[in-house]
Amino acid sequence: MISERLRWARTLVRRLFRRGEQEAELDAEMQFHFEQLVAEFQAAGMSHREATAAAHREFGTSDVFREEARDSWRPRAIGDAWQAISFAIRSLRRTPGFSLLAIVTLSLGIGANTAMFSLVNGIVLEPLPYQDSEQLDAIYRVTPQDPRGDASLPEWKQLQKARTGYDAIAGRWYFEASLATPGEPPELVAAMAVTGNFIDTLGVQPMLGRSFRPGENEAGENRVLILSHRVWQARFGGRDDIVGLPLRINGEPHEVVGVMPPSFGDWRLFGWLDLMRPLDVNDPALMDRQDRELRLIGRRAAEVEPIEAAGLLAGFGRDQSETYPDENAAATWQPFSLQDLAAGENGKMVLAMLVGLSGFVVLICCSNLANFLLARTMSRAREFAVRSALGASRAQLLRPLLLESLLLSLAGGLCAIGVANGFADWLQVRSTADNGDQVVIAIDQVVFTWTLGCSVLTALIFSLAPSLFALRLNLNETLKSGGRGATVSRGHQRLRQALIVGQFAMAVVLLTGATLFIRGLDALNTHREGWESDGLVTGSMLLPGGDYPDAESRRQFQERTLVRLENLAGVNSASLARYQPFLNWSQQTSFAVVGQPPAEPGREPAALMNAVSPAYFETVSTRMIAGRSFDERDHAEAPSRIIVSETLARTLFPQDAAIGQSLEWQGSEGASIVAEIIGVAQDVRSIFPEANPVVFQIYQPLAQVPPALTELAVRTAGFDPAALVPEIRTLIQELDPDLPVTQLKTANDRIVRENYQLGVLRDMLSSFAILGLVLASLGIYGVIARLVAQRYNEFGVRIALGAPPREINRLVLVSGLWMVLWGSLLGVLGSLGLAKLLQRGFPNMPHAPLSSMVLSLFVLLVVALVASLWPARRASAIDPCVALRAD
Amino acid sequence: MDKIRKELLQGTLDLLILKALSTATLHGWDIAKRIALVSKDRLSLKQGSLYPALHRLEGRGWIEAEWGVSDAGRSAKFYKLTSQGRRQLATETEHWLSFASAMTAVLAMEKIS
Repeated sequence: MISERLRWARTLVRRLFRRGEQEAELDAEMQFHFEQLVAEFQAAGMSHREATAAAHREFGTSDVFREEARDSWRPRAIGDAWQAISFAIRSLRRTPGFSLLAIVTLSLGIGANTAMFSLVNGIVLEPLPYQDSEQLDAIYRVTPQDPRGDASLPEWKQLQKARTGYDAIAGRWYFEASLATPGEPPELVAAMAVTGNFIDTLGVQPMLGRSFRPGENEAGENRVLILSHRVWQARFGGRDDIVGLPLRINGEPHEVVGVMPPSFGDWRLFGWLDLMRPLDVNDPALMDRQDRELRLIGRRAAEVEPIEAAGLLAGFGRDQSETYPDENAAATWQPFSLQDLAAGENGKMVLAMLVGLSGFVVLICCSNLANFLLARTMSRAREFAVRSALGASRAQLLRPLLLESLLLSLAGGLCAIGVANGFADWLQVRSTADNGDQVVIAIDQVVFTWTLGCSVLTALIFSLAPSLFALRLNLNETLKSGGRGATVSRGHQRLRQALIVGQFAMAVVLLTGATLFIRGLDALNTHREGWESDGLVTGSMLLPGGDYPDAESRRQFQERTLVRLENLAGVNSASLARYQPFLNWSQQTSFAVVGQPPAEPGREPAALMNAVSPAYFETVSTRMIAGRSFDERDHAEAPSRIIVSETLARTLFPQDAAIGQSLEWQGSEGASIVAEIIGVAQDVRSIFPEANPVVFQIYQPLAQVPPALTELAVRTAGFDPAALVPEIRTLIQELDPDLPVTQLKTANDRIVRENYQLGVLRDMLSSFAILGLVLASLGIYGVIARLVAQRYNEFGVRIALGAPPREINRLVLVSGLWMVLWGSLLGVLGSLGLAKLLQRGFPNMPHAPLSSMVLSLFVLLVVALVASLWPARRASAIDPCVALRAD
Repeated sequence: MDKIRKELLQGTLDLLILKALSTATLHGWDIAKRIALVSKDRLSLKQGSLYPALHRLEGRGWIEAEWGVSDAGRSAKFYKLTSQGRRQLATETEHWLSFASAMTAVLAMEKIS
């Protein structure tokens, strides 16, 4: 029964597409029957001729039957459509050069666009891989200093009791951990401390083992781990007995209880996460209400609308302000959709820009193809005129044109999927981090649909101009003008010129935008503000809490390390610090100026805090503006002293009076710290283009607050810094064989790696710009060459009348120049808008819109000149005899 | 007489083919022969008109075709009934019989005295 159906389906398909075969079979069948009839009549005694005549009578008119059978093979409409398509294919194959060029152009244009859309799809549209992810919100405590503020543990506990419209609210913070298995060197991993309900809130189950249990949020019980899929695979080779395995985290014994599925560590949300452990919710050290490090995620109850949840949270914020007015005066509580945050605000803008610019590439493609197709249609003007005169309706007239366009753009779209696939592979390679994690963009159904839509739209756009031409064709004129079909009205000429002007304008915007961004990016990568990275080697070390339980042990190790590093051959100076100057400093503190009236509650000044060893400023080349740097006088027991940044000093202490003043803030153990300013250092700006809302910086002596995670920096004495890397690694190994050092490489290498996303962006924009440039020059060349061909006779007459070749050259060049100038004018306006947009998106990035614009205009003008020079030379070389005879 | 026969055949050609094929797998020539034989030549038709009808029925999935070798040793297209065609034959036969009996009953009407 099933196979019967299948055979039937096969028959129907064959009838649609194998027309010739069907005809032949029918003929053979009827021929057989006919011959049988003839044979029968002959057997009855007729002559061959009589028998044939009788057989004809008996059989009937075979042509009629044939026609009837054909109708039963397929409905007329499908037959007609098939015929039209094969006609279009034949027509395209007659001009293989044009067809190939069109398909290549389209596949690059649509490919660029599809690749960009696949990024948007993968980053913004693709839902986060958690159950009912649209119910997940990030919950922030918003203050003027920090629009994405975290919560403290006591606040989280109060949230649990309050009515918020959330089924569950979980918290987490990130920490760097050293992960050690017996017999192997330790490794620095990205870890997350979470509240017990964290995994359940996201609605994901571990693929191996179990989730955290309720009691495991307490001291003593919380030495359990859930690993990421990648760590399990990469470090433990995917071994089956992973659950129950003892591991050492920061020197303390832990046990693995589970492994998360691969989808859990979505890079959009958690970055690159290696493991999770429960935090101790009753740790006395975490009971400070002001110690806000917990990032909150809430699962909204299914029946609660986002707006309601926002209202309830705001109510919670008001309660907090009433109960604790000092700290909460300017704070509000707000939810943000987790899905929206996945892309980040900046990310969304960049993506919009990329899709927009790739759209420009597609439009340039369209305008090129419109021009080519228009030229093609014009040369077939007579054909169109004849068909129109014979009574073809408008639809019949345009159908072959639209069909050809559609076929071209669909073929281009198909190749575009290949381009987008190549892009995804490239991105995967480019984004591969040191730990093997990478960004994977899938080309899925949504992307396919986009490409299809893009192809159809493209076809419609670029067949618009030729369609208009075909519809407005003056039958009388065209038919009268004979076979040459060269009558082109001024209107059509203008249409083609407008296309080139628009194309040129878009190329200007594209090129300017790309130049602007690429130059800004290069400026960022070579930008040194308050530090110098040439000849600098840096690395991160984490002192495990098990081996270095207190400040004293950390301090001693750090001092020993510094002495050894400084004595290394080829080292000019060495330092340890909490943060490198060129990366973001995450520790931030609000403070008060001693002796000045207190700031309004909630509006206290805030600063980024760093802790540095004495030689830090010299090593990373941060200039001291006033006062002194740290030295041996600032030892652990010495009074608290600090160095502040230039902007802090200038803003809070007019007339350079900062030195000798004191600042006061809450220390980590709740005690108030009063520290004297002994120096002012140059402002330091990180390599990242996003602006940091906090502009003040404060340095403390490393010896007074020795951190577990330290950044080392070594300034070499003017030779290849990379050569020092192995020596530094050996040196640290000698000091403590169990100590992981990561990111040990030259500062310049590290900067490039940290900014890799911008590097990717740079490459994409460069390729857009080059693509746009090539397409635009192709377009200009095509139009001017055609222009020359149309004025062939005119030029011939001019030359015959004695015009020098130079004059002809000038005529052609001027006709091209006009289009270019108009295009440039429009393009400049567009570029100004784009520059504004970039400025808003990347305020930290240096901008030079004017010079970028001049540069790209210059490049485009040269290209346009070269593109029109070739046809101009041909025009001036016209032989007047040939040109006039041809008329 | 000829003309009437032809009209009669228009609607019933499909049924005739289906019936003929319900007895065996046949090619077009055989179908024509068999119909002529069983009807004692009373149902004559233009034999060529079999072919569009066969193709139409094949398109509906009631019969299917396969190339084979005829008794005379020539390659010919053989048709056979599908299960769908078998069901169709049953319904159409029933329709035809009830139509025929209704017609017979009406024609047997006696003059009202």
